Amino acid sequence: MRTMFALIALCLVVAVAPREGQAATDFAGKTITIVVGYKAGGGYDKTARLLARYLPNYIPGKPTVIVQNMPGANSIIAANNVYSVAKPDGLTMGTFNRNLPIAQLLKVDGVKYDMTKFAWIGSAASESTILAIRDDLPYKTLDDFKKSNQTLVIGATGPGANTYDFPLLLKDLLGLKLKIVSGYSSSADIMLAIERKEVDGRAGSFSSIEPFIDRKLVHPIIRARATEPGIENLPVDEDLAPNPRSKTMMALRSAPEVVGRPYVLPPGTPEEIVKIMRDAFAKAINDPALKAEAKKGKMELNFVSGEEALKVMREVLNQPKDIVDEFGKYVKFGE
Amino acid sequence: MHNRASLFLGLGIMALSAWAAISAWAWPKKAAMFPLVIAIPLFCLAAAEVLWVLIGAARAKGEVMDFQLSKDVPQRTARLRTLLAVGWTLGFFAMIVLLGFPIAVPLFVLLYLKIQGREGWVLSAVVTLAMWGFFYGLFDQLLHVPFPNGWIQDWLGLR
Amino acid sequence: MIDALLQGLFLILQWKALAFMLLGIGLGFWVGLLPGLGGVTALALMLPFIYTMQPHEAFAFLLGMHAVVATTGDLTSVLFGVPGEATTAAVILDGHPMAKKGEAGRALGAALSSSLVGAIVGAFALALAIPVVRPLVLSFGSPELFMLAIVGLAFIASLSGQGARGMLRGFLVGGLGLLLSTVGQDPQAGVARFTLDTLYLWQGLDLVAVLVGLFAIPEIIDLVVRGTSIAGNTPSDHLRKGAFEGIRDTFRNFWLTIRCSLIGTFIGITPGLGGAVAQWMAYGHATQSARNAEERLGFGKGDVRGVIGPCAASNSKEGGALIPTIAFGVPGSTAMAVLLGGFFLLGLVPGPDMLTTHLPVTFSMVWTIVLANIITVAACLLFLNHLAALTNVRGHVLVPIILVMVFIGAYTANNDYGDLLVMLIFGAFGYFTVVAGWPRAPFVLGLVLGKIAENYLYISVARYEMAWLSRPIVLALLAVAIVVILYPLVQARRAQSRKQANA
Repeated sequence: MRTMFALIALCLVVAVAPREGQAATDFAGKTITIVVGYKAGGGYDKTARLLARYLPNYIPGKPTVIVQNMPGANSIIAANNVYSVAKPDGLTMGTFNRNLPIAQLLKVDGVKYDMTKFAWIGSAASESTILAIRDDLPYKTLDDFKKSNQTLVIGATGPGANTYDFPLLLKDLLGLKLKIVSGYSSSADIMLAIERKEVDGRAGSFSSIEPFIDRKLVHPIIRARATEPGIENLPVDEDLAPNPRSKTMMALRSAPEVVGRPYVLPPGTPEEIVKIMRDAFAKAINDPALKAEAKKGKMELNFVSGEEALKVMREVLNQPKDIVDEFGKYVKFGE
Repeated sequence: MHNRASLFLGLGIMALSAWAAISAWAWPKKAAMFPLVIAIPLFCLAAAEVLWVLIGAARAKGEVMDFQLSKDVPQRTARLRTLLAVGWTLGFFAMIVLLGFPIAVPLFVLLYLKIQGREGWVLSAVVTLAMWGFFYGLFDQLLHVPFPNGWIQDWLGLR
Repeated sequence: MIDALLQGLFLILQWKALAFMLLGIGLGFWVGLLPGLGGVTALALMLPFIYTMQPHEAFAFLLGMHAVVATTGDLTSVLFGVPGEATTAAVILDGHPMAKKGEAGRALGAALSSSLVGAIVGAFALALAIPVVRPLVLSFGSPELFMLAIVGLAFIASLSGQGARGMLRGFLVGGLGLLLSTVGQDPQAGVARFTLDTLYLWQGLDLVAVLVGLFAIPEIIDLVVRGTSIAGNTPSDHLRKGAFEGIRDTFRNFWLTIRCSLIGTFIGITPGLGGAVAQWMAYGHATQSARNAEERLGFGKGDVRGVIGPCAASNSKEGGALIPTIAFGVPGSTAMAVLLGGFFLLGLVPGPDMLTTHLPVTFSMVWTIVLANIITVAACLLFLNHLAALTNVRGHVLVPIILVMVFIGAYTANNDYGDLLVMLIFGAFGYFTVVAGWPRAPFVLGLVLGKIAENYLYISVARYEMAWLSRPIVLALLAVAIVVILYPLVQARRAQSRKQANA
């Protein structure tokens, strides 16, 4: 009789006890989907596909990782999807436009996500924005240019892209003499316009301008907060701000760049799954084979932790109303 | 037929360009210029076309450099079949929304072949299977195109 | 330079490179043929596989695949009236009516042979342009590009129907296209224009969804109405002889083919115009080759020149698009943007180096385009009869298959149901324009060129104020635009006076 009770008790205990180290954290046989907010072929997509090939080695159970493209509204659609439609079971993660916190900040119509509520894995890279001007111009540094009192024509794609926003803030807040000509269909077209001497320079991510710097077509003269090897010694826009308000504006614009390639899980994903993904990402990005491939593909990957990314999101989104309003006058959400 | 369709299109374009011009008026100059420069003349052109249809003689419908619907089928049959074609197309769309692509595709092919095409079971089955296999194999398995669940699956709480 | 030319040839004649090229061709064949499988997406998906290849092998693979897509996309357009790719929609206007008349074989033969000629011309242009490429591309600034867009828009006049009424309708749909091209976020003030408060329309109307709806839906409706196979009731042996007739057509209109190839190459060279334009301008030019107004009316009903023009242009464009990609690192088309990624992966830096130290690699690309197209056309000719026989299949079996392809084609553009709605809406629009007797080609021109015209106008004015109007190339292009607009009017006037003289 007592043995029977003991057995039943044992069964009950086993049945009710939490399942540690069991199927919940093992992804064997499963497929993980990375939802990319852009079409195939773009920077976010390439990074995602590269990671998709190496992540399985670092996730328990070696699941298959695939990439799905959900372009539209500069990846707001993808973010909305990962936020409310995807299940928080670790089988779906999203990567999208680094400027989405700005869209949320400016209360853009259609935003249905909250960047601070995503379960953050981290960022696979940080983007540093620079302003580069044609090599054959007589100004080698920012000071040369300021002293000359000439106006430079800067080509841009449109509001919301860093090609446009970065020089706009430089012009309006730092008083640099820049004339912004907007409407080019892509940043590559702007490079051609530079060659034609139609415009004198462009702003953009360091990684995309680097090949042209190497070719001695342009050289950078000023950068934003985030830095990469090769441009550390450039003057930083925030450092030159004439007053704290301007400094905040510029910081706000460049804050998301630290989280250059954001990767998130849906809100409510269990802690242990988030931890697994964070570890997997950190290890995958340090994988030597991945690093070699990334270098060949001109992708500069470095892991920024989820905690750090969340901190940045909160920094951006916890701004007082008057700052947000003034920021909204300069910067719109776009690319 | 020609005239009624022309009238319909003309009025439609008038309405559209008027709405466009009115919406654009409120925008900043740079964003509004192009749409206004186009919408206002467009409105006038559309109005001209509408007037021409209403007033002008119903002469030879201007020959056009585009394909024209076949004329060798009697009017009534043509009209009926047109409605059927539209019905099937919209029906397919409804199937996709309600059931999701993966189910809608083979279901539609099968239904069309059997009901509209009145083809035999063997042919219908073969073509349906081929289409489903091709669709599933290529777009789902190989390309991982995301196909959202149909509404019915969501209501039933499946997958 | 000659030895670089030969070196390039030998590079791809090695068996490994050839094997990769054949693999690429095999893949590209299906990518082009199937709506729903875009050439650009396919290229992007293939990039990770080329890491371990040598540069000339990788390009044999990528370019082999890419060079073929435009050719086989034309086949779907001709056979089913469904654009296999966004860049092959113009062929539908005359290619599919030919298929409906039972001349599928002829249409395919013409499409294939003119595609081949176009590809070769494009490849040659790439080879020959190498010394002059830099000054050529650099002389086309934003003002010139704006004028080029105006020239493109001028073709609306040629693509409109007869007389004043025709012109009115042509400009009406053209204007509608222009208006609709402004949907989306504008690049001057960031305003979301005409987006109806949806996220979907932020980036404008997707061209693929519009084209698929505009052209394929009316054809499907027509197919159901006729109740027959695509070819109607023509006897089947009629189809077989057609292919050679089609090939002869290309050579009978040799200068037209060459001119359209040059148009395509030229548009490919000027980055910023977008790939969809070339075929439509070529089509417009082809219609101008009609000797009188009655002949011009034959377009849209199965004039083989309406097949030759766009096919030649859409193929030559890719050779042209390689030029700015290689010489400047600026992609001449979206596919080239992906290819550029391939360049970097292989450690090549596009720029002056490609025209000097790496010249053999550049030439190997030229040869790849030529060879890939020759092989594809040869293979297609072999299967031509089977392809043409599809037009004899019962309509009822084809309709569901085509409809599925149409829906998938529209959906996979952005993986968004919104594209399906757009497709249906423009399908309705296409149907009504056909019933009303209005032309559709000007609409596409307006839609494709509107944004380009607007942006480059703004850039030109912002940069040069009014001085750009006096630049030589701008004035030359303006003259061309005026000629293009007046041409049909002059032709009509001359025909009138001839009729009166003979009366």
